Formats: sequence, structure tokens, C-alpha cells
Amino acid sequence: MSEFLAAFFTVFNVMLFQNTLRTATPIVLAGLGGLFTDHAGIMNIGMDGMMLIGAFTAVMGTYYFQSAFMGIVLAIVVGVLLGLFFGLFVIKFKSDEFIIGVALNIFAGGITIFLLRTLTGVKGAFPLPKSLGLPTVSIPLLDKIPIINELFNNNSILVYICWLLVIICYLVVYKTPYGFRLRAAGEHPQALRSIGVSPDFIKYSASVICGILCCLAGAHLSLGYLTQFSENMSASRGFIAFACIIFGRSNPIKVFLAALLFGFFDALGLRLQNIIPANLTLIIPYAATIFVLVIAALQSKRKSKLSELKLNKV
Amino acid sequence: MSNDIAVNMKNITVRFVETLANDDISLSIKKGEIFAIVGENGAGKTTLMNVLAGQIQPTLGSVEILGSTVTTFSPTAAIKAGIGMVHQHFMLIDSFTVAQNIVLGHEPKKPAKFGIFFDNKAAVRFTEDLIREYGLEVPPNARVRDLGVGLQQRVEILKALALGSKVLILDEPTAVLTPSETDELFKIIRKLKEKGHTIIIITHKLYEVMEISDRVAVLRAGKLAGIEETKNLSESKLASMMVGHELSFESIPRDETVKTPVLDIKNLTVSNARGLIAINDLNLTINSGEIVGIAGVEGNGQSELAQAITGLRPALKGSIYLNGIEITKQSPEKIRKLGLAHIPEDRIKTGLSKQASIWENLLVGKQRRREFAWLKLHLRRDKISKYSKEVYNQFDVRGAGIHIPVGSLSGGNMQKIVVGREFSFENTRAYVISQPTRGLDIAAMQFIHKQIINKRNEGAAILLISADLDEIFMLSDRICTLFEGKITAEFDPKTASKEKVGLAMLTHSKEEVCENS
Amino acid sequence: MREFLNELFTKRYKYDFSYILSLSISILLALILGAVIMLILGYNPIEGYGALIKGAFGSPRGIGDTLAKTVTLAMTGLAMAVAAKAGMFNVGGEGQLFLGAMAAAIVGAELTGVSPIIAIPLCLLAAMAAGGAYASIPAVLKVRLGVNEVITTIMMNSIAIYLCVYLSNGPLKTTERGIASGTQAIDPEFKFTRLITSSTLTQSIFIAAVIALVVWYFMSKTAQGYEQRLTGQNYEFSRYSGFKTNRIAIISMIISGAICGLVGMFEVFGIHGRFIESISKEFYFDGMLVAMIMRYNPIGIVVISIFFAALKMGSTAMEMKVGISSELILVVQSIIIFFMAAENGISRILKEKAAIRKAKREYLAAKAGNV
Repeated sequence: MSEFLAAFFTVFNVMLFQNTLRTATPIVLAGLGGLFTDHAGIMNIGMDGMMLIGAFTAVMGTYYFQSAFMGIVLAIVVGVLLGLFFGLFVIKFKSDEFIIGVALNIFAGGITIFLLRTLTGVKGAFPLPKSLGLPTVSIPLLDKIPIINELFNNNSILVYICWLLVIICYLVVYKTPYGFRLRAAGEHPQALRSIGVSPDFIKYSASVICGILCCLAGAHLSLGYLTQFSENMSASRGFIAFACIIFGRSNPIKVFLAALLFGFFDALGLRLQNIIPANLTLIIPYAATIFVLVIAALQSKRKSKLSELKLNKV
Repeated sequence: MSNDIAVNMKNITVRFVETLANDDISLSIKKGEIFAIVGENGAGKTTLMNVLAGQIQPTLGSVEILGSTVTTFSPTAAIKAGIGMVHQHFMLIDSFTVAQNIVLGHEPKKPAKFGIFFDNKAAVRFTEDLIREYGLEVPPNARVRDLGVGLQQRVEILKALALGSKVLILDEPTAVLTPSETDELFKIIRKLKEKGHTIIIITHKLYEVMEISDRVAVLRAGKLAGIEETKNLSESKLASMMVGHELSFESIPRDETVKTPVLDIKNLTVSNARGLIAINDLNLTINSGEIVGIAGVEGNGQSELAQAITGLRPALKGSIYLNGIEITKQSPEKIRKLGLAHIPEDRIKTGLSKQASIWENLLVGKQRRREFAWLKLHLRRDKISKYSKEVYNQFDVRGAGIHIPVGSLSGGNMQKIVVGREFSFENTRAYVISQPTRGLDIAAMQFIHKQIINKRNEGAAILLISADLDEIFMLSDRICTLFEGKITAEFDPKTASKEKVGLAMLTHSKEEVCENS
Repeated sequence: MREFLNELFTKRYKYDFSYILSLSISILLALILGAVIMLILGYNPIEGYGALIKGAFGSPRGIGDTLAKTVTLAMTGLAMAVAAKAGMFNVGGEGQLFLGAMAAAIVGAELTGVSPIIAIPLCLLAAMAAGGAYASIPAVLKVRLGVNEVITTIMMNSIAIYLCVYLSNGPLKTTERGIASGTQAIDPEFKFTRLITSSTLTQSIFIAAVIALVVWYFMSKTAQGYEQRLTGQNYEFSRYSGFKTNRIAIISMIISGAICGLVGMFEVFGIHGRFIESISKEFYFDGMLVAMIMRYNPIGIVVISIFFAALKMGSTAMEMKVGISSELILVVQSIIIFFMAAENGISRILKEKAAIRKAKREYLAAKAGNV
């Protein structure tokens, strides 16, 4: 019994929740980006590739300028370009979103490895000195409170920016004129055009925001804790973010909560590695994604049934 | 002089790739008049108005709006010049409230907090002011998707007025309205005229033109056929101007047939896509050798009725029998096998695959037959080609052979493919036919009407659903009116008047009809 | 004959021709872009591409390897195409491939000593069943609950891969000494014979040829293929037509998964002789690219696979001889898609503009003629 308890506490402790916040951050960032394109009526499954390129440029920028700040700036610039690139195809050329998304992912996998090898001569992973990682922020008074301190203090700066972004995105989407136009562009672009607002412009802006946030997500992946770039390090997180958008119905707060849920499963997997073989625990977040999607689908199905029944009584 | 002119269009020509939509049309519309534009489907009415609203760039020609010449054709420029257009398909965001729709594009912002946030209170206030000014009652905080079409249309009108439009274009505004809603709309139009607005109304209903307009322009095949003061016109004169010659409908001979029940619908209840009841406890029997026409304002359950009978939408309650066999819970495949064919209301979305070739579209439903598929597997292309060509020729499809994609055909020819296919099942005795001639020119329409009556004469049981009351009267042996998912009355087209049927399309019970008549 | 010619010159074939033209231009441009990248990085592109061509076709071994790669590409491409034509996007072929390889390796090891004539077909079946069954899960979820199959199949890739890696390092790890990871070896009798010494081309090419023929026949000549095609084009129409849409979706995914499983088996029986963690290096994603470039046309996929296989195999030689990272070719491949999409989009926009101009010209000409 005590053995079991010991095992239990090696898994379920403060570290678990700390890891949750840490692993959720890139998914939150990408999810926030993707919900903009989703609201604008674009299915963006190229987010994973955008993250990967973001992770790569952040590391390279940091390496060449010897500054994490410049790494982030470079990632943002590349994010803007990626957003415009994606928008060019999907909006201007009216290409198939699925094909462009898949091609973007494959392109990202190829170009990052190719550039990594030719620019640094490294195969596999390219580590940077820890000192070049993102600065952590320590909030002065928080360190007096034990658990809260461990959870919410001394995180990398992007974590705090990410939390701030959740609120900002919520306000932008639901409380600003731009948000109204964004949602209108997705729901009925023709209506926007008829009142003299270009839906394409709104869609481009959504695509650019998505590019920036996905690249920031990637930057957090490569600079947040590990300070290294490794081949294919996005590991389908862009798709998990996509699932969060579906689950959270593109509402920033709900997407954030969904991402936390996946972060929790991811962290749980990490903590469980002491007990269960690593390759099995790695499955957890992916299986959880499918599970949650199924739950979401079942719920919406039940809802429509319920409304039918209610009306029947009337 | 030019001060009384609201809109002056000179030599407007719009040439699309395949068609000449507007051919050298010049007309001027006076300030403060109600100007009607009439014409058949495809006569170019909407195109002409889209030019005015900046949605389409004309190939040639110039436009003057309220004295200033239009240099760039864009919605923004048109709005600035004072044009507002209420499109046939509403340009509303369903998930937004009325007020949010009205202020979209010129949203009020909260002065506090750096002026970046949407000010919903100001939007509602703005909308309420607008409602008060024009007397168009709508609930400003209701979501658009919860409103009926009549109210949605008011929102569209308010939206245009909010943008400061002096010239208001209404594209087929009464197509989706009930007669009483139409009366309401006409009151609104007259009120707007009093306030000095110019109204342009597109329609093909002649009695409405006579009732509301000051002047009429008639378009025929892209050309201006004439402009007249309404008071100098009669309905029949208008009709002949529209068609170009005196209307002659050759009547298609009807045989007397033996009538036995084929399609029997009992207590049917069906919900729509949003889970609301669309068909409510409906009973209907269709006999062999008769056409039963369903008359009703669109959105009263017509689509759901057709879908439920053909197995595309589950029935919540009740049962449907085809030749005595219950088909209520059967798959569309089984229902087709049991002898029911279906011409769907939307040929492009439901009735065809545009990318597929004509033969592929004609084969549907027969692809597993022994004559066309060896061992139900290997497609016998020679036999299929032969059959496809037969249908192709029999139904007078005009195109470049059976191998081209259906998407390259015109609307009329596409519909001929659908009708040809659905009418070529040998053992089929029952047909559900929805909107068979929507958007077709008169030649194609008459051709399809003839095919439908021929089927009836062969003894088929036909349920005809159409938004076109004339079509219902022309084809049906019996007319049933559908209102809010119920059959409200039954008429004999030979004796009934359109007014009575129109009234029954709007009321709940037969008693009401009787009282009013 | 006349009929045939008529058919040949209808819009459909004109369309095919313009497609091939746009594809060729896109490939050419992408290769030029690749050359430019080489130049920028200080390599000689002629040397680079020279090494590539030599590597792919310069020796019997090179040709063998290229053909072997063609098999993998064509099979995975066809797998993608079968599902995509029916409107199902199977992005999970990699996972199905892993499970197929694992199933074949397990059965192959269990049946040690049994006659190959019995054992090999059983292993084939096991691989196809594993891949097909795994692919049916996202199909059922999509059909019953409307869960997006792109996401589920991607998630299931990771699940299958980690599961197989776990198995080959854990419970199913071989007892042989000196093998770091991998399952028990299959009976050497079962291994496919190599057709060219020291190349990876094995008898599997014959199985692949048969499968490709069957898939082509199925997709373009049968009633089932016809129903799948129409379902992929317009789902509403398919439902209206009385097709069994749910079954069509599930069957197409099972076929797709079964082919992927088969590719996994080829790797085990042709090359490694057991399941190893690195059984596939994202083979399926290469195949997806091929399928998308050819718009899911089975003949086109097989033909273009030869070209892409040559690029892939040649790129390894290029890396060794000239020092240009072979990943450049992956970049070039994905750029082909972007070029084609761009070409498509630009030509559509230009066509629209030209049509407007032409309409105006014609109208004015007609007018002038009348006057």
C-alpha cells in the first residue's frame, strides 16, 4: 500500500501541474492562432509545419544574434511571411486547403532539416547554451506562497505572454469590430463584400495572425525549456492544437482549457515514465486527443437529439 | 432637370463568358419614384442592378448616381453614392444580433478604453433610432437566425438605410414572403417613397408591379424591351412585353386514368436541420395517374417533406407507404428500388456531380444492374454509352456529347439530365418532384412540363412541390396547400382561384379559409 | 475510330493534357529552384544533379534501389488515392504501415518452419488485416460521429508507431544477441529474393504490380469504384442516389490501410527480416505527396513514382558525393505542389481577365459589324 502511495505521489505532485502548464503553452499558442483562421472560414492543417519552422527560426535567430529576443523577433517575421504565403494560396489562388496544409507540413519537415544540416552541419538536434534560452520571470511576492509559487512563478516569459494572449484574443474575437468582421468573413463573406469590407483582407489578416502565433508556439518549443532544435520536434502538436480548436469551438478561453487538458495528459505521460515504459506513456496525449474528439462529437449529437425531444413535447 | 434624376444608366452592357447578360441598356430613374424592373428568369434584371450596386463591372456603359458619374465599380463606391441593395439571398450574419448586423462595417466603438472595443449599447441605440425613424419594427437584440424571413428582410432594408442609401434596390423581395407580409412590405416601400427615397424593385409578379410601381422597365433576353408608366399598362400587356409575343400555352393532353393509391403518408412528423419541427402530423395520399401539387410559401416544410419521403431525412413520427410497403425507415437505396424516383430541389447540390461526366451522372441508380455491370462489378462501358446516348437524345440535351463534365452544361440542360435519369427507371411508379423548372427559360420549362404530364398519363403518382403557383396550377390534378408543416386545404385547380389558394397558404385551418372566402 | 477521336478531343482530355503540361512546368521550375539553392549554398548544381542521376540510374544497384523505392511510393500513393477519391483523407498510412509490418513480422516469426507457400500468403493477409482494421477506426468515427478523419489518423500514426516501438523493445524483443532492438527474426526461407545483387529490389515488386493493377481496375472500371468516385465528388448527391455512403467510406479506408500494411510487410520480408523501429522513414508522407500531385489518378501515380523514386534514391548519392543534404529533394517535391497550385490559381485569374477582355472585344466587333 505504501509502495502504491509512493508511486502515486511520484506521479501526482506539483511537478505534474508544473509540467502541464509547460507542455500546454505551445498548444495554447498554436490553438489561439488557428482559431483566427477557423473563424475566418479557413481550415488550416498546416499549423504543425508553421510551428516547426517557427521553432527552427527561433533557434537560428538566437544562435546568429546570440540573443533569444532576436530569435523571437525572427520567428515572428517568418510567421508573418508564412501567414501571407498560406493566405496567398488559400485565399488568392483558391487552392485546396487540405493539400496546401499537407504540403506545408512536408515542406517544413524538409526545409528545417535541410537548412539545419547545411547551416550548422548538425544532424538530429542542435543545442544552444542554456543561457540563451528565454528569460524566466520571477514575480517578487509570489515566492512566499509555496505551491502557487512553484506553479505560477519563474516560468519563461512566453508562458506569461501566452496567458495574456488568451485574454487578448478573447477580447479581439468577441469584443472588437475586427472580431465581428472576422466572424462575418467566415460565416458569410459575400455579406461583408456587399457592405464594402473586403473579406479577403480579413482572411489574410487571420492567416498572418495564425502564422505569428504558430511560430511563437514553435519558439516556445525550442527556446522555452530545452533551448535546442531537433528534427520534427513539433511532433504533431499542431494537430493537437487543431483538435483543441474543434473541442473549444474556436472560443479562446475554451481552447485554452482544452489545451490545458492535453498538457495535463502530456505531463501525466512524462510523470508516468517512472512506472510505465516511456514509449507507452508517449501514446497518452494522442489517444487523449481522439478520446476528447469523440466525446465532443457524442455531446453535440446528444444535444441535437435533446432539442428534438423538447420540441416534440410542444 | 438632371436634379430629379436619381439614377442614369447609359448603354450598360455586361457580357459574361458564355452569355450576354445586359445588352446596351439605357434607362434613367427619377428621384422619389418606385421603379419596377420585370422580366423572365435570366432576362438580366439582377445583373443590371448588380452593376448599379457595384458588384459587377459592366463591359461597357456608364452610370450616374444622384448627379455624379461612377468611376469605379465597387460596393464601397456604390454605398458612398447612395445605393443600397437588398439581395434575394440575404446578406446577413445569422449568428449576430439584428443590431450587430446593422452596424457591421461602421461599428460604433466605446470611447473609453482607447476606443478599440465594439460598443454594443451604441449599436442597439443606433438601431432603435433607425427603427423609430422608419417605423420598421424589429427586435434589435434578437439573433438573426431566430427571425422569420419577413423580419430578416426588414433588417436588410434597415441595414441599407443605415448606410445612408437614397436609392434602394429590392431584388425579388416578395419571393419569400406571404401575401400579408408582402402587403406590409409595400406599406414600407410607400413610406420610404414619402420620405424621398427612390425604390427600384425587381420582380416577375405582374400584379405586384401594377399595385406598387410608378414606372416599369421590361427586360427581355438582356435587352430593354420598353419603359412605361404603370398607369398606361395592363397585366396582359406587360406579360406580352416580357415574353415578346402573346402568351400561348399549348395545353398538354391529359388522359383519364384509373386511380389507385400509390404513395400514402400517415401522421408524418419531421424535424429540420436545426431540430425544429418542419412537418407536423401530415396526412396525404397520392394516387396513380395523378399529380398532387404542394403549394406553399418556401420554408413551410416542403424540403423536409421531400427528404422524408425519399429517405434522406428520418421521420420522427408517422409512416409512409409505397404501394402498400412501409418505407419510413428504409434507406434511400431501398426506397429507390421499391419504385420511387426523386427530382431534388437543388440540382447542383443534390442532383448531380458537376465534375463527373454526363454518362456517369445518367448511370446513377443503375450501376449495379446486370445489363450495365458484369457480376455487378465490371462496368460495361459500351452498354452504358448506348443507354446514356438514348437518354441524352430523348431528353434533347444540348452539349458536346456524353463524355464532358455535367458542370459545363447550362442550367436547363443540367436539369434535363436529372429529369432524364429519374424518368428512365422502368419499374418506378411514384415520383417526388421538387422545383422542376426553377431558373429555367421558357423552352426548357415547357419541355419538362410535357415530360411530367406524360409520366402522369402513363399512370405514375407524382408529388409536385413548387414555389411557382402558376406551375402548380398548370400541372396538378389536385392542389394541397402546405403551411407550417401541415396540409391546410385541398383544391381542384379547375375550379379554384389563385387568391383562395394563396390565402390557404397562409392560414392554419380550412375553416379560416371558408370564413374568409 | 471516329468515336474514339471524338472522345479524345472532348474537354475532358484537353483538360488532362493541360494538366500534364502544368505538371511538367512545375517540376522543371522546382528543379531549377533546387539548382538555385545549390548555387546559393556554393555547390555546383550540374554536379549535384549529375550525381543524382548517376546515383539513381548509373548502376544496376542504383536502378534496383530506384525501382524498390518506386514500389513503396506507388503503393503508398495508391493507398492515399483510393481513400481520397471517396472523400476520405487517410493521413494515417504511416501508422497502418507500422502495424502491418509488426503483424507480418509476428506471424512470420511464429510460422517458422512452415512451408513458404502457406506462410507468405498468411503473412500478407496478416499485414493487410492489421493495416485495414486500424484504418477502419477513423473511418467509423467519421461516419458515425463526424469526427474529422485528418486529425484522428494523424493521432493514430503516433499511437501505432509508439506502440510498435514499445513492442519491439519490450515484450516482443528478440532474444538474439547483438541486436539492439527489433522483434524475433522471421524464417529466412520466407524472405523475398533480391532481384539485383545488393540492391533492395525484391520479388515484392511483382506483388506490388498486381496490387497496382487491381487498384487501377477497381478505381476506374468497377461499379464500386464508380460509386466511390461520385461519393468523393459530391457526398449529398451520393446519398440522394442511394449509394451506401457509410460503407463506401469505410471500405475505401480499409483498402487504403490494407495497402499500407502491405508496404510494411514488404519492408520486413524484403529487407530487414524482422520488425525494427526504423522500418519506415515517413514513407507514407512521400506517397501522399505523389498522390496529391497526380490528383489521385492511379496510372499517373505509378508513372510519377518512378521519377520521384529516382529523385529520392539519387539524392542519397548526391549527399555522399557532393555533400548536398538529401532533404533538399523533399523540399523540391513539396515546392512542386506549391508551383502547381500557384500555376492553377494564376492561370484561373488570368483566364477570367482574358475572358472579360475577349467578351468586350467580341461585343465591340459585333457592334461594328452591325453598323
